[in-house]
Amino acid sequence: MYRVKLLLVAMAGLLLVGCSTPTPGMLAANDPFEPTNRDTLKLNAKIDHYFVIPTVGIYFFLVGDRGRRAVHNFLQNVSLPTVFVNDMLQGEGARAAQTLQRFTINSTIGLGGFFDPAASHFHVPNHGEDFGQTLAVWGVPEGPYLVAPFLGPQPPRDAVGLAIDTAIIDPWNYIPFKQHIWWDAGRYYFTLLDLRGQTYEQVQGVQRGSVDYYASLRSLYRQLRNNEIRNGRPDTKDLPDFGP
Amino acid sequence: MLETNPGIISLARRALLIAFVAAAGLFAVPASAAPSGAEAFVQANVQKGLAILNNRGLSTDQKRSQFETFILGLTDMKRIANFTLGQYRHSASPADQDAFAGAFQNYAVAVYQNYFAKYSGQTLKVTGSKDRVPGDTIVQTQLIDPNDHSGQQPLEVDFRVQSDGTRFVVVDFSVAGIWLALEERDQFSSFLGQNNGNIPTLVSHLKDLAKSYH
Repeated sequence: MYRVKLLLVAMAGLLLVGCSTPTPGMLAANDPFEPTNRDTLKLNAKIDHYFVIPTVGIYFFLVGDRGRRAVHNFLQNVSLPTVFVNDMLQGEGARAAQTLQRFTINSTIGLGGFFDPAASHFHVPNHGEDFGQTLAVWGVPEGPYLVAPFLGPQPPRDAVGLAIDTAIIDPWNYIPFKQHIWWDAGRYYFTLLDLRGQTYEQVQGVQRGSVDYYASLRSLYRQLRNNEIRNGRPDTKDLPDFGP
Repeated sequence: MLETNPGIISLARRALLIAFVAAAGLFAVPASAAPSGAEAFVQANVQKGLAILNNRGLSTDQKRSQFETFILGLTDMKRIANFTLGQYRHSASPADQDAFAGAFQNYAVAVYQNYFAKYSGQTLKVTGSKDRVPGDTIVQTQLIDPNDHSGQQPLEVDFRVQSDGTRFVVVDFSVAGIWLALEERDQFSSFLGQNNGNIPTLVSHLKDLAKSYH
Protein backbone atom coordinates (compact mmCIF):
# COMPACT_ATOMS: atom_id res chain seq x y z
CA MET A 1 0.00 0.00 0.00
CA TYR A 2 2.81 2.39 0.75
CA ARG A 3 4.09 1.93 -2.78
CA VAL A 4 0.73 3.13 -4.03
CA LYS A 5 1.00 6.20 -1.85
CA LEU A 6 4.51 6.91 -2.98
CA LEU A 7 3.32 6.64 -6.56
CA LEU A 8 0.52 9.10 -5.88
CA VAL A 9 2.90 11.57 -4.32
CA ALA A 10 5.19 11.20 -7.32
CA MET A 11 2.23 11.78 -9.62
CA ALA A 12 1.45 14.96 -7.77
CA GLY A 13 5.02 16.07 -8.34
CA LEU A 14 4.80 15.34 -12.05
CA LEU A 15 1.58 17.30 -12.32
CA LEU A 16 3.42 20.32 -11.07
CA VAL A 17 5.67 20.33 -14.10
CA GLY A 18 4.56 22.97 -16.55
CA CYS A 19 2.83 25.17 -14.03
CA SER A 20 2.51 28.82 -14.86
CA THR A 21 4.65 31.43 -13.13
CA PRO A 22 3.43 31.94 -9.58
CA THR A 23 1.84 35.26 -8.76
CA PRO A 24 2.93 37.37 -5.78
CA GLY A 25 -0.21 36.21 -3.99
CA MET A 26 0.73 32.56 -4.47
CA LEU A 27 4.22 33.20 -3.22
CA ALA A 28 2.90 35.13 -0.23
CA ALA A 29 0.75 32.13 0.65
CA ASN A 30 3.70 29.77 0.07
CA ASP A 31 1.55 28.09 -2.58
CA PRO A 32 3.46 28.45 -5.88
CA PHE A 33 1.55 25.55 -7.48
CA GLU A 34 -1.89 26.85 -6.56
CA PRO A 35 -3.57 26.36 -9.96
CA THR A 36 -2.51 22.70 -10.06
CA ASN A 37 -3.46 22.24 -6.43
CA ARG A 38 -6.92 23.64 -7.12
CA ASP A 39 -7.35 21.20 -10.02
CA THR A 40 -6.29 18.33 -7.79
CA LEU A 41 -8.78 19.39 -5.14
CA LYS A 42 -11.51 19.29 -7.79
CA LEU A 43 -10.40 15.79 -8.76
CA ASN A 44 -10.49 14.71 -5.12
CA ALA A 45 -13.97 16.19 -4.75
CA LYS A 46 -15.17 14.09 -7.70
CA ILE A 47 -13.63 10.96 -6.26
CA ASP A 48 -15.32 11.76 -2.99
CA HIS A 49 -18.69 12.41 -4.61
CA TYR A 50 -18.79 9.45 -6.99
CA PHE A 51 -16.90 6.81 -5.03
CA VAL A 52 -16.33 7.57 -1.36
CA ILE A 53 -19.72 8.94 -0.34
CA PRO A 54 -21.74 6.11 -1.93
CA THR A 55 -19.60 3.48 -0.25
CA VAL A 56 -19.84 5.29 3.07
CA GLY A 57 -23.63 5.22 2.65
CA ILE A 58 -23.52 1.45 2.17
CA TYR A 59 -21.22 1.12 5.19
CA PHE A 60 -23.63 3.06 7.39
CA PHE A 61 -26.56 1.02 6.08
CA LEU A 62 -24.91 -2.30 6.82
CA VAL A 63 -23.05 -1.52 10.06
CA GLY A 64 -24.70 -0.01 13.11
CA ASP A 65 -23.35 2.58 15.53
CA ARG A 66 -21.68 0.10 17.84
CA GLY A 67 -20.09 -1.76 14.99
CA ARG A 68 -18.71 1.42 13.50
CA ARG A 69 -17.38 2.46 16.90
CA ALA A 70 -15.62 -0.89 17.23
CA VAL A 71 -14.08 -0.50 13.78
CA HIS A 72 -12.93 3.00 14.72
CA ASN A 73 -11.33 1.73 17.92
CA PHE A 74 -9.60 -1.10 16.10
CA LEU A 75 -8.15 1.16 13.42
CA GLN A 76 -6.94 3.58 16.05
CA ASN A 77 -5.31 0.76 17.99
CA VAL A 78 -3.36 -0.64 15.05
CA SER A 79 -1.90 2.82 14.43
CA LEU A 80 -0.55 3.12 17.99
CA PRO A 81 2.82 1.44 17.35
CA THR A 82 3.56 4.12 14.75
CA VAL A 83 2.45 6.80 17.18
CA PHE A 84 4.68 5.28 19.87
CA VAL A 85 7.79 5.35 17.66
CA ASN A 86 7.16 8.99 16.76
CA ASP A 87 6.52 9.90 20.39
CA MET A 88 9.95 8.47 21.16
CA LEU A 89 11.65 10.15 18.20
CA GLN A 90 10.31 13.48 19.43
CA GLY A 91 11.60 12.88 22.95
CA GLU A 92 8.07 12.85 24.37
CA GLY A 93 8.55 10.16 26.99
CA ALA A 94 5.32 10.75 28.88
CA ARG A 95 3.25 10.64 25.72
CA ALA A 96 5.08 7.51 24.58
CA ALA A 97 4.20 5.88 27.89
CA GLN A 98 0.56 6.84 27.37
CA THR A 99 0.59 5.30 23.92
CA LEU A 100 2.16 2.11 25.21
CA GLN A 101 -0.45 1.94 27.97
CA ARG A 102 -3.26 2.40 25.50
CA PHE A 103 -1.95 -0.27 23.16
CA THR A 104 -1.42 -2.76 25.98
CA ILE A 105 -4.81 -2.20 27.60
CA ASN A 106 -6.86 -2.05 24.42
CA SER A 107 -5.13 -4.99 22.78
CA THR A 108 -5.92 -7.19 25.79
CA ILE A 109 -8.86 -5.98 27.86
CA GLY A 110 -10.16 -4.18 24.82
CA LEU A 111 -10.35 -7.45 22.90
CA GLY A 112 -7.83 -6.71 20.23
CA GLY A 113 -8.61 -3.02 20.15
CA PHE A 114 -12.30 -3.21 19.30
CA PHE A 115 -13.06 -1.50 22.61
CA ASP A 116 -11.29 1.45 24.24
CA PRO A 117 -11.18 0.79 27.98
CA ALA A 118 -7.89 2.70 28.14
CA ALA A 119 -9.84 5.93 27.66
CA SER A 120 -13.22 5.05 29.13
CA HIS A 121 -12.01 3.24 32.27
CA PHE A 122 -8.35 4.11 32.75
CA HIS A 123 -8.59 7.71 31.53
CA VAL A 124 -5.66 7.47 29.14
CA PRO A 125 -6.81 9.56 26.17
CA ASN A 126 -5.72 9.01 22.60
CA HIS A 127 -3.33 11.29 20.75
CA GLY A 128 -1.84 11.19 17.27
CA GLU A 129 1.72 11.49 16.06
CA ASP A 130 3.38 10.92 12.71
CA PHE A 131 6.77 11.31 11.12
CA GLY A 132 5.76 14.56 9.45
CA GLN A 133 5.36 16.02 12.92
CA THR A 134 8.63 14.45 13.99
CA LEU A 135 10.41 16.15 11.10
CA ALA A 136 8.85 19.46 12.14
CA VAL A 137 10.05 18.97 15.72
CA TRP A 138 13.51 18.33 14.29
CA GLY A 139 13.35 21.68 12.50
CA VAL A 140 12.49 20.63 8.95
CA PRO A 141 10.38 23.32 7.24
CA GLU A 142 6.99 22.46 5.77
CA GLY A 143 7.80 23.42 2.19
CA PRO A 144 5.32 24.71 -0.37
CA TYR A 145 1.68 23.72 -0.05
CA LEU A 146 0.77 20.71 -2.20
CA VAL A 147 -2.44 18.78 -2.74
CA ALA A 148 -2.00 15.16 -3.78
CA PRO A 149 -4.58 13.08 -5.63
CA PHE A 150 -6.61 10.97 -3.18
CA LEU A 151 -4.57 12.07 -0.17
CA GLY A 152 -5.43 15.75 0.10
CA PRO A 153 -2.98 18.35 1.45
CA GLN A 154 0.54 16.89 1.44
CA PRO A 155 3.33 19.50 1.63
CA PRO A 156 6.75 17.90 1.10
CA ARG A 157 7.49 17.47 4.79
CA ASP A 158 4.21 15.67 5.42
CA ALA A 159 4.46 13.62 2.22
CA VAL A 160 7.91 12.40 3.23
CA GLY A 161 6.62 11.76 6.73
CA LEU A 162 3.73 9.72 5.41
CA ALA A 163 6.04 7.67 3.22
CA ILE A 164 8.43 6.99 6.11
CA ASP A 165 5.60 6.08 8.48
CA THR A 166 4.03 3.76 5.96
CA ALA A 167 7.11 2.14 4.52
CA ILE A 168 9.51 2.02 7.45
CA ILE A 169 8.06 2.85 10.85
CA ASP A 170 4.78 0.95 10.81
CA PRO A 171 5.69 -2.35 12.51
CA TRP A 172 2.86 -4.20 10.81
CA ASN A 173 5.09 -4.19 7.73
CA TYR A 174 7.49 -6.54 9.49
CA ILE A 175 4.97 -9.14 10.55
CA PRO A 176 5.00 -11.79 7.83
CA PHE A 177 1.66 -13.25 6.94
CA LYS A 178 -0.10 -14.25 3.78
CA GLN A 179 -2.30 -11.81 1.94
CA HIS A 180 -0.54 -8.82 3.51
CA ILE A 181 -1.80 -6.60 0.75
CA TRP A 182 -5.40 -7.35 1.69
CA TRP A 183 -4.68 -6.37 5.28
CA ASP A 184 -3.24 -3.07 4.07
CA ALA A 185 -6.04 -2.45 1.62
CA GLY A 186 -8.72 -3.26 4.17
CA ARG A 187 -7.10 -1.13 6.82
CA TYR A 188 -6.89 1.95 4.66
CA TYR A 189 -10.28 1.45 3.08
CA PHE A 190 -12.02 1.19 6.44
CA THR A 191 -10.02 4.15 7.73
CA LEU A 192 -11.40 6.13 4.82
CA LEU A 193 -14.95 4.97 5.53
CA ASP A 194 -14.56 5.67 9.22
CA LEU A 195 -13.25 9.20 8.82
CA ARG A 196 -15.55 10.19 6.00
CA GLY A 197 -18.54 8.81 7.82
CA GLN A 198 -17.74 10.90 10.87
CA THR A 199 -17.20 14.05 8.89
CA TYR A 200 -19.97 14.05 6.33
CA GLU A 201 -21.97 16.92 7.80
CA GLN A 202 -18.88 18.91 8.71
CA VAL A 203 -17.46 18.75 5.21
CA GLN A 204 -20.76 19.93 3.83
CA GLY A 205 -20.68 22.79 6.31
CA VAL A 206 -17.22 23.91 5.24
CA GLN A 207 -18.16 23.71 1.58
CA ARG A 208 -21.37 25.61 2.16
CA GLY A 209 -19.94 28.38 4.31
CA SER A 210 -16.67 29.01 2.53
CA VAL A 211 -15.99 32.01 0.34
CA ASP A 212 -13.03 30.10 -1.08
CA TYR A 213 -13.14 26.40 -0.17
CA TYR A 214 -9.60 25.77 -1.38
CA ALA A 215 -8.12 28.63 0.64
CA SER A 216 -10.18 27.59 3.64
CA LEU A 217 -8.78 24.05 3.54
CA ARG A 218 -5.27 25.35 3.10
CA SER A 219 -5.57 27.59 6.15
CA LEU A 220 -7.24 24.89 8.21
CA TYR A 221 -4.61 22.34 7.26
CA ARG A 222 -1.70 24.54 8.21
CA GLN A 223 -3.22 25.69 11.47
CA LEU A 224 -4.21 22.17 12.38
CA ARG A 225 -0.80 20.73 11.60
CA ASN A 226 0.95 23.44 13.55
CA ASN A 227 -1.29 22.72 16.51
CA GLU A 228 -0.52 19.00 16.25
CA ILE A 229 3.19 19.71 16.08
CA ARG A 230 2.88 21.76 19.28
CA ASN A 231 0.88 18.87 20.80
CA GLY A 232 -1.96 21.28 21.43
CA ARG A 233 0.07 23.77 23.41
CA PRO A 234 -1.28 27.27 22.70
CA ASP A 235 0.60 29.49 20.31
CA THR A 236 0.97 32.96 21.77
CA LYS A 237 4.00 34.42 20.02
CA ASP A 238 3.25 33.70 16.35
CA LEU A 239 -0.26 35.12 16.28
CA PRO A 240 -0.58 38.28 14.17
CA ASP A 241 -1.40 41.63 15.70
CA PHE A 242 -5.07 42.33 15.42
CA GLY A 243 -5.01 46.04 14.68
CA PRO A 244 -7.42 48.75 15.75
CA MET B 1 -2.26 6.59 8.54
CA LEU B 2 -5.12 8.93 7.84
CA GLU B 3 -5.79 9.07 11.56
CA THR B 4 -2.47 10.65 12.26
CA ASN B 5 -1.82 12.37 8.98
CA PRO B 6 -5.02 14.15 8.14
CA GLY B 7 -6.17 14.81 4.60
CA ILE B 8 -9.17 16.78 3.55
CA ILE B 9 -11.52 14.59 5.48
CA SER B 10 -9.99 14.89 8.90
CA LEU B 11 -9.33 18.54 8.31
CA ALA B 12 -12.93 19.25 7.63
CA ARG B 13 -14.02 17.27 10.66
CA ARG B 14 -12.01 19.44 12.94
CA ALA B 15 -12.64 22.59 11.01
CA LEU B 16 -16.32 22.49 11.70
CA LEU B 17 -15.75 22.17 15.38
CA ILE B 18 -15.18 25.87 15.03
CA ALA B 19 -18.91 26.13 14.86
CA PHE B 20 -19.40 25.97 18.58
CA VAL B 21 -16.95 28.71 19.24
CA ALA B 22 -18.53 30.71 16.51
CA ALA B 23 -21.80 30.26 18.33
CA ALA B 24 -20.14 31.36 21.53
CA GLY B 25 -19.58 34.66 19.76
CA LEU B 26 -17.43 37.71 20.15
CA PHE B 27 -18.09 39.40 23.40
CA ALA B 28 -17.25 42.73 24.90
CA VAL B 29 -18.03 43.90 28.42
CA PRO B 30 -16.60 46.45 30.86
CA ALA B 31 -13.22 45.37 32.15
CA SER B 32 -12.99 44.44 35.79
CA ALA B 33 -10.12 44.97 38.17
CA ALA B 34 -10.00 41.28 39.09
CA PRO B 35 -6.54 39.70 38.72
CA SER B 36 -7.83 37.13 36.26
CA GLY B 37 -10.12 39.56 34.49
CA ALA B 38 -9.78 38.02 31.05
CA GLU B 39 -10.54 34.56 32.39
CA ALA B 40 -13.51 35.79 34.41
CA PHE B 41 -14.75 37.69 31.39
CA VAL B 42 -14.67 34.62 29.19
CA GLN B 43 -16.24 32.39 31.80
CA ALA B 44 -19.09 34.78 32.56
CA ASN B 45 -19.95 35.69 29.00
CA VAL B 46 -19.62 32.26 27.50
CA GLN B 47 -21.95 31.01 30.19
CA LYS B 48 -24.47 33.68 29.20
CA GLY B 49 -24.35 32.51 25.62
CA LEU B 50 -24.56 28.87 26.64
CA ALA B 51 -27.54 29.64 28.86
CA ILE B 52 -29.40 30.79 25.77
CA LEU B 53 -28.31 27.74 23.81
CA ASN B 54 -29.27 25.40 26.63
CA ASN B 55 -32.66 26.97 27.40
CA ARG B 56 -35.12 24.26 26.42
CA GLY B 57 -38.02 26.59 27.07
CA LEU B 58 -37.18 28.57 23.94
CA SER B 59 -38.17 27.62 20.45
CA THR B 60 -35.49 27.36 17.80
CA ASP B 61 -36.46 30.73 16.40
CA GLN B 62 -36.44 32.32 19.85
CA LYS B 63 -33.02 30.90 20.55
CA ARG B 64 -31.74 32.25 17.29
CA SER B 65 -33.19 35.66 17.90
CA GLN B 66 -31.90 35.95 21.47
CA PHE B 67 -28.51 34.62 20.56
CA GLU B 68 -28.14 37.01 17.67
CA THR B 69 -29.09 39.91 19.91
CA PHE B 70 -26.65 38.67 22.51
CA ILE B 71 -23.79 38.49 20.00
CA LEU B 72 -24.47 41.76 18.27
CA GLY B 73 -24.98 43.60 21.54
CA LEU B 74 -21.58 42.61 22.84
CA THR B 75 -19.38 42.34 19.80
CA ASP B 76 -17.12 44.60 17.80
CA MET B 77 -17.75 42.95 14.47
CA LYS B 78 -16.27 45.82 12.51
CA ARG B 79 -12.89 45.27 14.07
CA ILE B 80 -13.02 41.59 13.22
CA ALA B 81 -14.12 42.47 9.70
CA ASN B 82 -11.21 44.86 9.26
CA PHE B 83 -8.79 42.16 10.33
CA THR B 84 -10.22 39.61 7.93
CA LEU B 85 -9.73 42.03 5.02
CA GLY B 86 -5.98 41.71 5.58
CA GLN B 87 -3.79 43.71 3.21
CA TYR B 88 -6.81 44.79 1.15
CA ARG B 89 -8.11 46.92 3.99
CA HIS B 90 -5.48 49.59 3.32
CA SER B 91 -6.55 50.12 -0.29
CA ALA B 92 -10.28 49.89 0.41
CA SER B 93 -12.39 53.02 0.38
CA PRO B 94 -14.29 53.87 3.58
CA ALA B 95 -17.53 53.03 1.76
CA ASP B 96 -16.21 49.62 0.75
CA GLN B 97 -15.02 48.98 4.29
CA ASP B 98 -18.45 49.81 5.70
CA ALA B 99 -20.21 47.67 3.12
CA PHE B 100 -17.87 44.79 3.86
CA ALA B 101 -18.34 45.14 7.62
CA GLY B 102 -22.13 44.93 7.20
CA ALA B 103 -21.94 41.93 4.90
CA PHE B 104 -19.41 40.21 7.12
CA GLN B 105 -21.63 40.61 10.16
CA ASN B 106 -24.65 39.09 8.43
CA TYR B 107 -22.51 36.29 7.03
CA ALA B 108 -20.93 35.52 10.38
CA VAL B 109 -24.22 35.54 12.27
CA ALA B 110 -25.84 33.34 9.62
CA VAL B 111 -23.04 30.81 9.81
CA TYR B 112 -23.00 30.81 13.62
CA GLN B 113 -26.74 30.40 13.80
CA ASN B 114 -26.65 27.41 11.51
CA TYR B 115 -24.49 25.52 13.93
CA PHE B 116 -25.36 26.68 17.41
CA ALA B 117 -28.22 24.24 17.88
CA LYS B 118 -25.79 21.31 17.69
CA TYR B 119 -23.98 22.32 20.86
CA SER B 120 -26.74 22.65 23.40
CA GLY B 121 -26.02 20.96 26.69
CA GLN B 122 -22.29 21.63 26.58
CA THR B 123 -20.30 23.83 28.92
CA LEU B 124 -16.96 25.59 28.79
CA LYS B 125 -14.45 25.33 31.59
CA VAL B 126 -11.67 27.93 31.83
CA THR B 127 -8.37 26.13 32.37
CA GLY B 128 -5.88 29.02 32.32
CA SER B 129 -4.56 31.99 30.38
CA LYS B 130 -1.37 33.41 28.90
CA ASP B 131 -0.56 37.03 28.17
CA ARG B 132 0.68 37.47 24.62
CA VAL B 133 1.51 41.09 25.36
CA PRO B 134 -0.07 43.35 27.98
CA GLY B 135 -3.72 43.76 27.08
CA ASP B 136 -3.69 40.77 24.72
CA THR B 137 -4.45 37.48 26.45
CA ILE B 138 -5.13 33.93 25.33
CA VAL B 139 -7.70 32.34 27.63
CA GLN B 140 -7.69 28.55 27.46
CA THR B 141 -10.88 26.58 27.96
CA GLN B 142 -12.23 23.10 27.42
CA LEU B 143 -15.57 22.21 25.91
CA ILE B 144 -17.24 19.68 28.19
CA ASP B 145 -19.91 17.39 26.77
CA PRO B 146 -21.72 15.76 29.72
CA ASN B 147 -22.99 12.99 27.46
CA ASP B 148 -19.52 12.01 26.30
CA HIS B 149 -18.28 9.09 28.39
CA SER B 150 -15.57 8.02 25.96
CA GLY B 151 -12.79 9.30 28.21
CA GLN B 152 -11.18 11.18 25.34
CA GLN B 153 -9.71 14.65 25.79
CA PRO B 154 -12.30 17.44 25.83
CA LEU B 155 -12.17 19.82 22.92
CA GLU B 156 -9.81 22.71 23.59
CA VAL B 157 -11.14 26.16 22.86
CA ASP B 158 -9.01 29.27 23.22
CA PHE B 159 -10.22 32.87 23.27
CA ARG B 160 -8.06 35.81 22.34
CA VAL B 161 -9.11 38.63 24.65
CA GLN B 162 -7.90 42.18 24.33
CA SER B 163 -8.41 45.08 26.69
CA ASP B 164 -8.00 48.81 26.15
CA GLY B 165 -8.18 49.40 29.89
CA THR B 166 -11.89 50.07 29.91
CA ARG B 167 -13.38 46.89 28.51
CA PHE B 168 -12.54 43.43 27.28
CA VAL B 169 -13.12 42.26 23.73
CA VAL B 170 -12.76 38.77 22.31
CA VAL B 171 -11.17 39.32 18.93
CA ASP B 172 -10.66 35.72 17.85
CA PHE B 173 -11.09 32.17 19.07
CA SER B 174 -9.70 28.82 18.17
CA VAL B 175 -10.95 25.26 18.27
CA ALA B 176 -8.32 22.53 18.29
CA GLY B 177 -5.75 25.18 17.42
CA ILE B 178 -7.61 26.66 14.46
CA TRP B 179 -8.18 30.41 14.76
CA LEU B 180 -11.37 31.41 13.03
CA ALA B 181 -10.55 35.01 12.07
CA LEU B 182 -7.19 33.88 10.69
CA GLU B 183 -8.91 31.29 8.54
CA GLU B 184 -11.42 33.87 7.31
CA ARG B 185 -8.64 36.30 6.49
CA ASP B 186 -6.86 33.64 4.45
CA GLN B 187 -10.06 32.88 2.55
CA PHE B 188 -10.92 36.50 1.85
CA SER B 189 -7.37 37.36 0.80
CA SER B 190 -7.36 34.48 -1.65
CA PHE B 191 -10.77 35.44 -3.02
CA LEU B 192 -9.76 39.07 -3.44
CA GLY B 193 -6.48 38.03 -5.03
CA GLN B 194 -8.43 36.25 -7.74
CA ASN B 195 -10.83 39.14 -8.19
CA ASN B 196 -8.40 42.03 -8.58
CA GLY B 197 -8.96 43.13 -5.01
CA ASN B 198 -12.56 44.01 -5.79
CA ILE B 199 -14.26 44.29 -2.41
CA PRO B 200 -17.81 44.79 -3.77
CA THR B 201 -17.48 41.36 -5.39
CA LEU B 202 -16.61 39.85 -2.02
CA VAL B 203 -19.47 41.74 -0.38
CA SER B 204 -21.87 40.37 -2.96
CA HIS B 205 -20.56 36.84 -2.42
CA LEU B 206 -20.92 37.14 1.36
CA LYS B 207 -24.48 38.37 0.97
CA ASP B 208 -25.34 35.41 -1.24
CA LEU B 209 -23.82 33.01 1.27
CA ALA B 210 -25.73 34.62 4.14
CA LYS B 211 -29.00 34.36 2.20
CA SER B 212 -28.42 30.68 1.53
CA TYR B 213 -28.76 30.02 5.25
CA HIS B 214 -32.28 31.51 5.47
